[in-house]
Amino acid sequence: MKLRSFAGFVGPSVFLMLALLALPMLMTVVLSMRNCALEMELVTVQQTGPFGAHEVTTQRAKVDASGQAVQTCQWVGLEYYRKVLGLEKPAAGAGGTAGAAGAVPSPAGQPTEFFSALRFTLLYVAATTPFVLGGGLALALAMNRVTQRLKAVFIAASLLPFIITPVVGALAIKWLFRDNGLVPHVLGGMGIEVFWMAQAWSAQLLVILYGIWHVLPFAFIVFYAGLQGVPQDALEAATIDGATNGQKLRYVTLPHLMPLVVFVLMMHLMDAYRVFEPVMVLTQGAFTTSVQYLTYHVLLQEDNPYKASAASVLTIIGIALLLIPLLRKTWREQRQGH
Amino acid sequence: MTLRRRSLLLATAAAPAGAHLGTRASGLACPNIGGTGEVHLIGNSFPAVAHIAAIAEGCARPGFKVVFKLTPQARVETEQAFGAEGRSPFDAAVVSMGVFSNLYARRQLQPLSDLVQTFGSRYRLEEKMLVRVDGEVMAIAFMQNTQNLYYRADLFAKHRLAVPADYAQMVQAAAVLQRQEPSITFPIAQGFAKGFDCATEFTNILAGLGGRFFQPGGALPAFNGADGVQAVAVMRSLMPYMTPNALASNSDDVVNQFQQGKAAMGVLWASRASRMDDATASKVVGQMAFAAAPAARAGGRGAAHLWWDAVVLPRNNPRQREATFHVLMEGLSEAAVKTGNDLGIWVRSVYSPGRFGTGVALSQRAGAPVWPSEPFFSLAHGEVGKLLPEALAGERTPQAVLDAAAAAYLRSATEKGFIRRGATA
Repeated sequence: MKLRSFAGFVGPSVFLMLALLALPMLMTVVLSMRNCALEMELVTVQQTGPFGAHEVTTQRAKVDASGQAVQTCQWVGLEYYRKVLGLEKPAAGAGGTAGAAGAVPSPAGQPTEFFSALRFTLLYVAATTPFVLGGGLALALAMNRVTQRLKAVFIAASLLPFIITPVVGALAIKWLFRDNGLVPHVLGGMGIEVFWMAQAWSAQLLVILYGIWHVLPFAFIVFYAGLQGVPQDALEAATIDGATNGQKLRYVTLPHLMPLVVFVLMMHLMDAYRVFEPVMVLTQGAFTTSVQYLTYHVLLQEDNPYKASAASVLTIIGIALLLIPLLRKTWREQRQGH
Repeated sequence: MTLRRRSLLLATAAAPAGAHLGTRASGLACPNIGGTGEVHLIGNSFPAVAHIAAIAEGCARPGFKVVFKLTPQARVETEQAFGAEGRSPFDAAVVSMGVFSNLYARRQLQPLSDLVQTFGSRYRLEEKMLVRVDGEVMAIAFMQNTQNLYYRADLFAKHRLAVPADYAQMVQAAAVLQRQEPSITFPIAQGFAKGFDCATEFTNILAGLGGRFFQPGGALPAFNGADGVQAVAVMRSLMPYMTPNALASNSDDVVNQFQQGKAAMGVLWASRASRMDDATASKVVGQMAFAAAPAARAGGRGAAHLWWDAVVLPRNNPRQREATFHVLMEGLSEAAVKTGNDLGIWVRSVYSPGRFGTGVALSQRAGAPVWPSEPFFSLAHGEVGKLLPEALAGERTPQAVLDAAAAAYLRSATEKGFIRRGATA
């Protein structure tokens, strides 16, 4: 293919990827090294409203001659990265006296929030991945044996958890497991009392169960599609050679599906590392703080898009690190012409 | 927000709004709006705002479009829109007083004094609706809210219990019910979920103890002092009588526990009261009663805060300000309040509080203060909400958790410019 034709085909795609992926990522990196803050002044104002009048001593942005709030921006380098990772040095004199009102305490000696969140995030990734892959494959193999007439019904039913938006799905699961929910009610009838959101193990298990329930259909449908392309002649030859079902699965079907396994694995690793909705809805973050929850907190509670950008970049780096082995494997296979 | 949720909310609001909308068919609605254009509004998705939205959107006519976006993310979208470098995509927003404080401090609001002066009498605006800062009208309040005590009147009567006036009495009553009432395992239900809910409870109890969030005249934290530790102790004293799931129980879960008859008392938003008698979901219709929020200590004031919701206009979009004002005033009119009387606790005098609308008056009489209005308060509130569950769960001491929250707040407030770098106590 001529270079011009090649460029004509891939050009639009490359342009869109640069504009919609590379540029925003670059902007995020730039933002993560800046900070902008309004210049505030102390004021005492008289405020009146539905509950009467009261005097408030507060802060208000200074304004310039045109009435616009004055904002100062500066480069902060890697400061926000250090803060998100909990590596910043306490400010001089910041060690407070415990118990005294207004003391400014030192965070030294505490495990950083980021690493606590990273620990749960990696647990979630590690716990959901084998079940998503194994369960998805098992379901696909089972579906492959179901009669044609029932397949449509079973496939539609199996895909439901994946079709439902994550927040709605998480809410449905929460209502099943919270006080007075169906699951505690049924378990209670059997003499088993579990408060699912009351301690770390059960809250984390609940989020992990949700993750498996929600993503497994995706793995299933991909593997099921892959199974339709398994060469029947190879399977028949294996049968004639006396191979058992297990041997046919191991030596014929799985090698054929392996590129799809790698694909599902990569997609799931990326998604699982960004786990957020079940954390927010099922437990509101109690016992299950994830890396993405921290980014959400920084952006919306601390109202700091600059620090949130640093947290986002760290998330991308985390995902990239997780994907390195798979990317290396894929790269090697591509080079070998597989 | 999903279309389905919006439909549900509008359907909830549609019935009472119907009477008002009926006048529109006759051409009498929104008579002050002329010309063409578009008005875009945003507000949180709860029934009272959906009611206002339905009426406001009814002002649309050929050449004049009104779009009211109802979303649970209204705070975030409003702050982003009002703080944008360019023009805000919204001409007005419904905000709570906490958001109002942030927007006002950043100088992102338009004064409304001229519009109120010109059109106020036409819409019978009342002085108590006008949120003034140093005399300038910056917002128009329409709804109020607070937390107050919900309790099962039937069970309290059965066990001859007095309505608790403070948290110590509440714990005593809970202990009696836990021992003697077979239908109740966990007598207290209260929103202790990580984040907004538990931080709000802490704020209420800290204020009830006479404690301060910040040092006087500044933004340096004070909530990690002795009163803060005591406030956490009060919260922890309730936990043996609450579901073990309490740290994941938000207001919706608390309502569910009351409705299912599984809890006998607790402090909850006054605006949720009418759901106790929703026969389609509640097993305790007619059995819940309401009282002022309990004091944090014997003889103290009610440990709650008073809130209002208001409409504001952004400084960065004055394009349709007059038309926007007229649309909003239609939604906040006396007729709108009358038709949506039971959807909220309205500020207007025509509002007629029923059994469920007494919460604000009860808490106000009990001495509840107005919700803190410092623009840096939401930062401190957010950090407390994130870390407090560790103290409530017993993973760390209250002092350690409050110190960590104070340190985190100090960092974020410094980054936002509320505290100069290097400042300490």
